[in-house]
Amino acid sequence: MEIQLKRGLLDVCVLAAIKNEDSYGYQIIKDISPYVEISESTLYPILRRLETSELLTVRSAEHNGRLRKYYHITQAGLDRIEAFKEEWKEIMMIYKFVTKEGKEDE
Amino acid sequence: MNKEQLLNALKERLAGLPEEELKRSLDFYSEMVDDRVEDGLSEDEAVAGLGEVKEISDRILEDIPLKKIVSEKVKKIKPERKLKGWEIALIAAGSPIWFPVGLALGITAAVLALTFYFVFWILIICFYVIDLCLVLGGICGVVMGIAAFAKGLGQYGFILVGAGLFCAGVSIPFFFLCNIIAKGMLKLSKSIITGIKSLFVRNKKDAEADRRNESKNESGSKTAGDKEEEPAAKIEDKTVITGDNKEQPVI
Repeated sequence: MEIQLKRGLLDVCVLAAIKNEDSYGYQIIKDISPYVEISESTLYPILRRLETSELLTVRSAEHNGRLRKYYHITQAGLDRIEAFKEEWKEIMMIYKFVTKEGKEDE
Repeated sequence: MNKEQLLNALKERLAGLPEEELKRSLDFYSEMVDDRVEDGLSEDEAVAGLGEVKEISDRILEDIPLKKIVSEKVKKIKPERKLKGWEIALIAAGSPIWFPVGLALGITAAVLALTFYFVFWILIICFYVIDLCLVLGGICGVVMGIAAFAKGLGQYGFILVGAGLFCAGVSIPFFFLCNIIAKGMLKLSKSIITGIKSLFVRNKKDAEADRRNESKNESGSKTAGDKEEEPAAKIEDKTVITGDNKEQPVI
């Protein structure tokens, strides 16, 4: 997949992974991995970016005697997911158009 | 490589980053290793699964603006001792000399950077222009060739049409070659920028020590240098906890 496109999609994936409950880095990777390839070195800048643009907040909590960072989605983050769904409808229309043309050729 | 070694390697590569940014990255990767170990992997496996150290540090650098890195570097260069009165006087007196020199050096560096940037893009454009010329040349050749035929200059017509078709034919693979070159150049420029960033950020002494260690390690175990850093690393880990919640957004 094109890098730029994938980058944008991964942002939304990470937001979706923390939508229902707060999650931590490793869990986010495990949740997303079955759907799209993501590594730790890709995740780190994404989380950093999302935090800077205030789509999520971070808190540290103790786990097994060490600290773990938990990520919490903000309202702006939820809005971003909704915006993505809207955008996707347009993309699906384009997809329909592209594939329809294919059938007419046959 | 174990966790300690990974964190030290990262620290060395990212030494010039703002403290807070460095701690954050180290924390993240430390947590990642711990979570993987908790999931049943050995520490070495966990670290190996995270990928190359260079890859990790490059990803971190990519997202931090060059401006921030440079200004951090400048902050760290600040003289460690206070200047004496006569030194200040001397510097002030010498300003007619060093000020223009410094200014000239600065301007030269800026102009060089700008030139490099322009040359880079113009080079890419040139390739496409060449391709366009081939296409146009091809069309002209064919048209002129036909015109030559019409005028009864058959032999020139053949040459013109042939050359025209040749140009047009070459232009097609050349176009794809252009695309490959452009893509390669873009990749190159990206890695040059990351390279510049890591030049600023890398701790030189550590890098040299590391190189020496590497050659030693081939025969023996880790050197004392790594162990000395241990306590410092732990202290830093603790400070992260408090600084955590009041982070400033990156500019």
